[in-house]
Amino acid sequence: MNKPLNPSDLARPSECLCHIEPGELPPLPPPYEDFNQTAIPPLKPDKIKNIEASLDDTVAIGIPKPANKQEEEELVRRFLAGLQKLFEKNNNWTFLQPLMLSMEHCAKCQTCSDACPIYEMSGKKDIHRPMFRAEVLRRIYNKYLKPGGKITAKFTGDIDLNWTTIARLAELSYRCTLCRRCATVCPIGVDNGLINHEIRKLFSQEMGIAPKEIHDKGTVQHLRVGSTTGMTPAAAKDSMEFIQEEMEEITGSKVEVPWDVEGADILLLHNAGEMLAWPENVGAFAIIFQAAGLSWTLSSEAAGYDAVNYGLWYDDVQFSRVAVRHADIARRLKVKKIVVGECGHAHKALTVIADRLLTGDLNIPRESAMVTLEEIVLKGKIKLNPSRNNFPVTLHDPCNIVRAMGIVEPQRRILRKIAPKFREMTPHGVMNYCCGGGSGFAIMSGYNFAEWRNLVSSRKKFLQILEAFKDEPREVPKYVCAPCSNCKGAIRDIIGYYSAEERSRLYYGGLVELIVNAMADMKKPMIRFGDEPSWTS
Amino acid sequence: MGFYILSYLCIAVFALATLYRIYRQMTMPVHVRWEIYPVQHETSAKVAYGGSYMEEIDWWEKKQEKSLLGELLYMVPEILFIRGLWKENRGLWWVSFPFHFGLYMMIATVILLLGHAGFTLWGSTVFSAGSTLRTLLDGFIAVMGWGGLILGNIGSLGLLYRRWTDAELRNYSSPVDYFNLLFILLFFLSALVSCLSGDPFLEGAKAYVMGLLTGGHPLNAHVPGRSISGIVAIVSASLLVAYIPLTHMSHMFMKYFLYHNVKWDDAPNRRGGGIEAAVRKNLNLRPTWGAKHVGADGQKTWLDIASSAPTEEKK
Repeated sequence: MNKPLNPSDLARPSECLCHIEPGELPPLPPPYEDFNQTAIPPLKPDKIKNIEASLDDTVAIGIPKPANKQEEEELVRRFLAGLQKLFEKNNNWTFLQPLMLSMEHCAKCQTCSDACPIYEMSGKKDIHRPMFRAEVLRRIYNKYLKPGGKITAKFTGDIDLNWTTIARLAELSYRCTLCRRCATVCPIGVDNGLINHEIRKLFSQEMGIAPKEIHDKGTVQHLRVGSTTGMTPAAAKDSMEFIQEEMEEITGSKVEVPWDVEGADILLLHNAGEMLAWPENVGAFAIIFQAAGLSWTLSSEAAGYDAVNYGLWYDDVQFSRVAVRHADIARRLKVKKIVVGECGHAHKALTVIADRLLTGDLNIPRESAMVTLEEIVLKGKIKLNPSRNNFPVTLHDPCNIVRAMGIVEPQRRILRKIAPKFREMTPHGVMNYCCGGGSGFAIMSGYNFAEWRNLVSSRKKFLQILEAFKDEPREVPKYVCAPCSNCKGAIRDIIGYYSAEERSRLYYGGLVELIVNAMADMKKPMIRFGDEPSWTS
Repeated sequence: MGFYILSYLCIAVFALATLYRIYRQMTMPVHVRWEIYPVQHETSAKVAYGGSYMEEIDWWEKKQEKSLLGELLYMVPEILFIRGLWKENRGLWWVSFPFHFGLYMMIATVILLLGHAGFTLWGSTVFSAGSTLRTLLDGFIAVMGWGGLILGNIGSLGLLYRRWTDAELRNYSSPVDYFNLLFILLFFLSALVSCLSGDPFLEGAKAYVMGLLTGGHPLNAHVPGRSISGIVAIVSASLLVAYIPLTHMSHMFMKYFLYHNVKWDDAPNRRGGGIEAAVRKNLNLRPTWGAKHVGADGQKTWLDIASSAPTEEKK
């Protein structure tokens, strides 16, 4: 039963403010009905006894509870100090104008709610409305930081500020994938996704609170070791050697992987996670670029072989450090442009957001791999045999590439050329749905967060995928093309969680794998459906 | 005269508050890009599916094509007809559209009334009683005024009803949300009653606007206060004019910045350009964020911090 929750309820003591009962989630079609009564596994009491876990059925951060009243008051004070800084030019020039505009002009019309896949897939729980957490922040700001706020709050919307409010707000900021579908539909132009982004920043930049996967093991490790995977430069080179050998079995000829070539036209930046989880993606790029005769290089310098920038999701300072590192590597290699591989958030981070951070010779042109690949495929720089991709293919649109950058058609023009059974999801393009793994969710799996993601935040995408292939027989293998590492991770997890490979013969991969699979002079297929090759010669 | 003084004061508050809001936006630091597609000034071919100039190979070597017409073709129906709500939240549109369009028609009525007063003061025979121009203007004022009042009453009553009865809206509504709607309804209702009470051609409004232009000259001006509804209409309209720019209802004109300065702000930073100069200025600002990894001390600039490693690393 859906009990309405008001933003002021965030301060109300309770063991679990928002619980999802089995059967409350939108139903899945056959043959997945057995998941319709599945509940999010309960959090283990011994694991959560010392952390804030009273928001809902999961935990993303695991914020330690304050030890005493003084500590609690200090945390509240620091929160308010951070909130103030969000509205100061010296602290938040990066987002000051967008934040103020969105804070001041929401008409609370709820148009954004129906656009949000997490709100819809949670069984329409109030805390997942895009404006819910934004409204909490507005109320706190108006009441505690504006002159006379404690009086006007009675008329404009009240809320109590205590540790419970703050800790739940921090957790709640990690129940939104920052896909910004809500902002697309707002008639006024208010961006509640942006406000969520700013809440995350407040907690990270002022209070040092962020999920360990994106801060300690993420940006901090990236800057210290060279990659969020923990991979050192030497390990990255070793991985590539192994990948080269694998690729040579497919091509039947030598595959060159150029490292640190000064003056190359292109510095190719991959998400280093690809080298470990999807090495064929990195290898496919090498095959295509070599076949097309491009002048390109990889960088073996720390951070130069890992395009990710987790700062995009939670911390402008960490974001800036990573972006500067990437640009500086390209500057020293004297490349003409950086091409960002199949990683959605790295696209947006380096191409769009860092655009107004990098100045002078650090401002090196950046291009999406979708565009580079389109030029290769559509201009006939490689020889193709599209009949090798004679299986159903659908395309997942990574929000950061499509909605945030307007790169919509290049990948489609490629697919129309190389995949005869390509079909769209509904909706697609700039109105796509997030994979459910956006803004760090795909790499967060502490406590029971992965189950929550598979059941709630990725549910809409799973339904979309099933719908795209609904007319195909079960036994026919189907390929979900997801040109983004995080999206692939989320889709891999839903396929595994729902046993969709066994039940629907669902497979997934990137775009370059499909391109190489259709290259006429390959000796072996790049894509396999389990043990079954996608084509035989 | 007291009514005119109130109106002058309210107009002054409106002007100052609006100018302040606009000034504040114009003097904001350049922010990082946060556009969202479709961006309506892209070429019509790209707008059709939400594409951008970044779809082009070596886009930085090409001239960015921008279409002002494309923006207008989107914004005019959006502002006039609330197209976004029609598309995404049809149920609410049925009450939101008459509310907003009623307000627009009232603004248009005021502009026509100012024209009427201007022509009258000019004293030309072109605008003498019975002239074509005067008859036409009188007709426009009546149509625009009545249309606005009818739609405004329907819209504000409808929005109030929806906010009160729809649990989804009620749950997030604060007392001030109801107050705002009641306030606007009070104006629409009192003005409608005033017109229904023997003033179908808005003669009272014409005289009042004339009075506003002439400082309440008794020869030309309507003497306010002939009816309770007239007083309420004048007072509520004046107060509304002052109140709107002080609230979130300023989205009527602030929408410009929400769209142009954020949603559609896709201007790339080019070496040696104005954006780069603004970014360099920003990078010299000194943050004071308190988390340890930031390493801010109020002395280091953004440039210093972005070029350094997180503090934890320096153990």
